[in-house]
Amino acid sequence: MTSQNDAELMTNNRSFNDKDEVGASCFADLDAYNSAIAANGINSDLYAGAAPKAQEKWQVIANGLDAQCDGDFNKLHEQMARQIGELGMAFRTIGDEDERPWPLNPMPLVIGTNEWEVVSQGLMQRAELLDKVIGDIYGEQNLVKDGHLPAVAVTGSKHFARKMLGIKPRKGHYLHTYAVDLARGPNGEWRVLSDRVRLATGIGYALENRIALSRSTGPLLYNVNSRRLAGFFGNLRDGIAADCVRNNPRIALLTPGRFNQSYPEQAHLARYLGFPLVEGRDLIVSKGRLYVRTIAGLKRIDALWRWINTKHLDPLAFDASSQIGVPDLFEAWSNDDLVVANWPGAGVVESKAFSAFLPRLCNVILGQGLILPNVATWWCGQETERNYVINNFDDLIISSAFKENVEGLDHARSRAGNSFTKEEKAAIIEAMTRRPMDYTGQEVVKLSTTPSLTDKGFIPRFFTMRAFVARGEDGNWNVMPGGFARISDEGVLRTSLIGRDDVSADVCIVDEVPVAQESWLNSGKPPIIRRSDGILPSQAADNLFWFSRYCERAEMTARVIRTMLGSPIEADGGGGALSAPAIEKMIGLLKSWGAVSRTESITDIPTICAAALSDKKNLGSLASLVNNCREIGRRLRDRLASDFWQLANYKMPNISRHNIEGMAETCNILLQKYAALSGLAHENMSRLGGWRFLDMGRRVERGINICRIARNFAFKGAGHDEMGVMLDLFDSQITYRSRYISGLHLEPILDLILLDGHNPRGLAFQINEIEKHIENLPSLDDHGLPEEPLRKAKSLAARFVSLEAEDINIEVLSDLEGKLLDLSDAVSQRYFLQFEKEDKPAIDRLFE
Amino acid sequence: MIYAVSHITKVSYDANVRLARFNLRLKPAHWHTQKLIEYNLEVSPPADEIRESVGPYVVNVARIAINNPLKELVVKSTFKVEIFPRISDVALSKSPDVQSLRNQVLASGDLFKLTPASYVFPSDLAPLNCEIMEWARPMIEQSHNIADAAMRVTQAIFKEFKYDSKATSIDTTAYSAFKGRHGVCQDFAHIMIIALRGNGIPAAYVSGYLRTLPPPGKPKLVGADATHAWVNVWCGNDLGWVGFDPTNNCLAGTDHIFTAMGRDYTDVAPVDGVFFGYSRQTMKVSVDVNELNPEPVA
Repeated sequence: MTSQNDAELMTNNRSFNDKDEVGASCFADLDAYNSAIAANGINSDLYAGAAPKAQEKWQVIANGLDAQCDGDFNKLHEQMARQIGELGMAFRTIGDEDERPWPLNPMPLVIGTNEWEVVSQGLMQRAELLDKVIGDIYGEQNLVKDGHLPAVAVTGSKHFARKMLGIKPRKGHYLHTYAVDLARGPNGEWRVLSDRVRLATGIGYALENRIALSRSTGPLLYNVNSRRLAGFFGNLRDGIAADCVRNNPRIALLTPGRFNQSYPEQAHLARYLGFPLVEGRDLIVSKGRLYVRTIAGLKRIDALWRWINTKHLDPLAFDASSQIGVPDLFEAWSNDDLVVANWPGAGVVESKAFSAFLPRLCNVILGQGLILPNVATWWCGQETERNYVINNFDDLIISSAFKENVEGLDHARSRAGNSFTKEEKAAIIEAMTRRPMDYTGQEVVKLSTTPSLTDKGFIPRFFTMRAFVARGEDGNWNVMPGGFARISDEGVLRTSLIGRDDVSADVCIVDEVPVAQESWLNSGKPPIIRRSDGILPSQAADNLFWFSRYCERAEMTARVIRTMLGSPIEADGGGGALSAPAIEKMIGLLKSWGAVSRTESITDIPTICAAALSDKKNLGSLASLVNNCREIGRRLRDRLASDFWQLANYKMPNISRHNIEGMAETCNILLQKYAALSGLAHENMSRLGGWRFLDMGRRVERGINICRIARNFAFKGAGHDEMGVMLDLFDSQITYRSRYISGLHLEPILDLILLDGHNPRGLAFQINEIEKHIENLPSLDDHGLPEEPLRKAKSLAARFVSLEAEDINIEVLSDLEGKLLDLSDAVSQRYFLQFEKEDKPAIDRLFE
Repeated sequence: MIYAVSHITKVSYDANVRLARFNLRLKPAHWHTQKLIEYNLEVSPPADEIRESVGPYVVNVARIAINNPLKELVVKSTFKVEIFPRISDVALSKSPDVQSLRNQVLASGDLFKLTPASYVFPSDLAPLNCEIMEWARPMIEQSHNIADAAMRVTQAIFKEFKYDSKATSIDTTAYSAFKGRHGVCQDFAHIMIIALRGNGIPAAYVSGYLRTLPPPGKPKLVGADATHAWVNVWCGNDLGWVGFDPTNNCLAGTDHIFTAMGRDYTDVAPVDGVFFGYSRQTMKVSVDVNELNPEPVA
C-alpha cells in the first residue's frame, strides 16, 4: 500500500517555551484574549494582528458561537461531533486498524480579503512556476542544461519518473491541483512550508469541515460574508474537463482503495464532484484507450484524477509489483487520449532539495521574485550551501533532502541542529562528505497562534494551514477561498495533514461586502438533463449485491437467535418452551451458517446464542456479518447517502451469555436497523442499476435461506414447534393466522412461504423480483436474445407457475436452492469482475 | 570475439491465464563495448501484439500481449554479437580519485540515460544500508583512484563471500546475502552497488551473459550457461562506465556479453508481466553461449 506518511519539520523548542506561557490560560471572550496576546506583539496571533474590519468578523463568530450554546462551549463541541458523525467523516493515521472520528474545532480561522489576496497571488504564482519547472524537466531540460538546476537535485527524488521524459500532456498542463502547507510567522508574514503536487490530500477534508461547520452554526458564516468553496470545486472539475478530447467527458477519481488513509475523503470528493470512484481493477486499457468496466460493458474514461503515486499507476510501465494500478495505463496517457491530473512524475518537485532552487527558478522562468517566500533552504549538494549548513548547524533544521533514509537521520526525520550530540553532529557532517546531496538545512520556522475554542474558552494555539489551488476551465489558477488548518499544542510542527492529538479547523476568507450566492451545481451553463447517476462500475454492483446479501444473512441469523431466546408470539415460557428437536434444528442451522462452530458440542441455549451473536472467530456470527456489511459499506461510501452509511456503520456491542435480555435486545436493534436500511433503499434510491443490485442481493440470499430452512424444518416429522419457527423466521405468523384459524398445518404453511407470490417474505416473491431486476438491467449486445442470467431467472420463475404445496419435498427444495445459487453465479459471471476477485469469505461455502 | 547466444525462457501456469501481457528485456541494448550483429525473438504461442521500444534506462523492451487463454509461454531470444577488448589498465590508472569523482557527479548537467546522477541514489533493491557502506568505506578511502576503489570492492566480495546458488532466492534481499556472506551474481552485484552508492559513487546493475568453458577434456553441455549480472561503475567524465564483475573477481571483458543496465535488477528483469487469473507460475531458463569462428590455426 502506498504510504503517504510525511516527513516532519520541527520548530525551535525555545520559541515554543515562550509561547507556552501565553497558552497556559483560557479566555472567556476575544477581548480578554486580545489583551493577553498584545503583550507578546499583536502580530504573533492571527486574530490579534487582523485588520479592524476582519477583527469584527471574528467577534461576530465568537459571539454567535457563544449565543448558540449559552456560553456552555462543551455543548458546542457535542453539536460539532454530531455533525461530523452524520457526515461520516473519519480518518486513519498510519497503523490504525479502524477509522478515527474527525476532530474539528468550532472556531474557524478568519482571514480578511486584503491579507488573503497577497497569499493567493503567491500561491497562483507558485503553481504556475511548479507547472513550468515540471514541464521543463520532462521536456526541454533547459534548466538542467543551463546549470540552473543540478541533475542530482532532480534524480534524487523517487518521484522522478525517467520513463515520462518527452511525454507531454494534451494541453501542456502538468498540474491541475496543487496543495501547499503554509505557516504564518510571529511577525504576520506567510511562507510556504512544503509543496504537494502528487496528492492534494486534505482538499476533501477542507470541504467537509466547511459543511460540518456551516451545518452546526446556521447562518453564522453567511453573516460574516465568508466566501464559499463551491465555485472552486466547479472550476477544478471544469479545468480537467477542458483538457479532455470529448465534450462531455467522463472523469473518474482513481483511488488506491479503502485501506488508504484518505479513502473517506476520496469517496466524499467523488460524490461531491460526480466523478465515479474507481480502483485499478475497475479499469482496463484496450487499444491504447482507458475504459471502466460497468454492468453495461466497457465505458470510456477521458480523465483520471489520480490519488495513486506514479510508481503504482501501471505495473507494466513502472513497478511490476503494483496491485493497485492499471496495466498499460501508460499507453493511454502517452497516446494523447487520457488526461491525468496531476501528470505522472510531477512529484519530482516536492523534495526539500527543490525548495532551495525555487527562488532562483522563479526569476529564470517567470522573470520575477517569489511573492510568497518558502522556508529558507540550503541544499548541501552545493559546496557554498553545504559550508553554510555546517557553519550554522545549531541554528538550522537538518533534513533528508529527498525524504529517503539517510545516515544520521533515523527514518528520514528532520531534526533541529541543536538537538544533535557532539558525536552525532560530527558523524552527520562526516557523512556529508560522502553523500552531501542527501541533506538540507532549513531555517527554523516560528509560528503565530490563533484562538482555539476549548470547553472553557479561547486559548492561543499554534497553527499551520494547507491551502489548495486548481486550474480552471480557462487554464488559469484559482485558489480555494479557505483551507484546512491544523491546530497543535505541541512544540512540534509537522507538515502531514493531521496527527493523533491534533485538531483541525476551518478557514474562512471574509469579504467586507456580502458574497454572491454561488453553488457550482447551478453556476455557469446549464447542464444536460440526466435521469441516471452515470455509470455503475461492475465492482460497485458486486459490492452492492454482496452488501445486501450480508445484511439479509445477518437479519436471518438475528431472527434465529431471537427465536431461540424466546419466540415473540409463542412466548409462553421462554426459549426453553420449544421442543428439543426444534432447538436442535435451529442449532444445526446456525452451525451450517458458520454462526457457531461446527464442532460445538454444547447445547446450552444462551451459550450457543452468545457465540452466534458475538464470537468473531465464527465467520457466520452476527458480529462477523455486521463487520462484513460495514467493510463492504465502506467501499460503497461514494454511492450510499450518509444516513444509509450511518446505519450500515453500526458496530455490534459485546454481550455476555448471562445477559439473555441484552442478547434479545441486540437482535431487535439489529432487526430494526436492517429494516430501516431496506426502508431507505426502498423509498430513497432511484430505480437504477445500483438499486437493482442492492435489492437483488437481498432477494437471492432470502430465497436461498427459505429453501434451506424449509428443508430443515418442514420434513422428517415436523412438529408444531418447527412449523411455528418457520412462520416466525419468515415473519409470516400474522398472515397465516389471518388466513387460517385451524392451527398450524404443513401444506398451508409451505404454500405461504414458498409458493404465494404475494408474500414478500416468500420464495415465489423473491424469484419474481429477481426476474424483474435482471430484465431491467442493460444487455451487452443488441441481437435481442436474453442473456444467460435472464434465461436462468425465467426458467426458475416458470417452475412456480405449476408447483403446488403437495409437490414440495426435500429434493424439490434442494433443486430450487441449487438453481438459485446457479443464478447467482450467472449474475456474477455476467456483471462482476470475474478473473480477479479478491478473497472474501465464501458465503455459499459456509452452507455445506 | 564473436558469440552466438541463445536464451530460452519457458513460463508455465497451473491453470489458464487470460490477457497476459509481458515485458521482455532480452535484446542487448546499444553499448560501447560490443556490436549486435543479428537478433531474433520468437514467441510461442504467437503474440497478438509485439511492440519494441527503448526503455527508460539502457534497456530494450519488447511488450507482448497474448489475448487467448495461456498455459505455457516459450520465448526464444537468439543473437550474434561481437565483443571488443576491454579498457586498458593504463586508462584505468588515470581515473580520478574518489573525491573528485563525487564532485563530478554533483556537477553533472544532464538527464540523459548515462548520467551518473541517475545511479547514485538508493533504489528498491539497492536501498541505503549503513552496514554495507561502512564495510566498503576503508577500501574506498584507501584507494588511489576510482577504478582502484571499485576493484578493491570487487576483490573483497570475491574473497569474503561464498558463491552458493542454494543460499539465496530471487526474493532474498541484498542485505541478507551480505549478512550470510553468500549468494549468487545478482546478490553480489546488488551488494556492490549499495556499497559504492553509500559512498557517493554511481553504480549500475548490468544484466548479460558470461561465456563459460567446459571442464578440460569434456564437451560443452547444451543449456549449461546462464544469465549473469555484474556492476557498471561510473569512472568519471572521461572514462564513463566501466564493468566490474565481483562474482569472478575481474573487469568485464571479452567473456561478458552486455544485455541491459539499470538501477537494479527490476529495471532490467528479463521477463515480467501481468495476467488475469489465479495461477502459480514456474519459469525455466536455458542459455547457450557459443564462440563463433574460433581463430583458425595459421
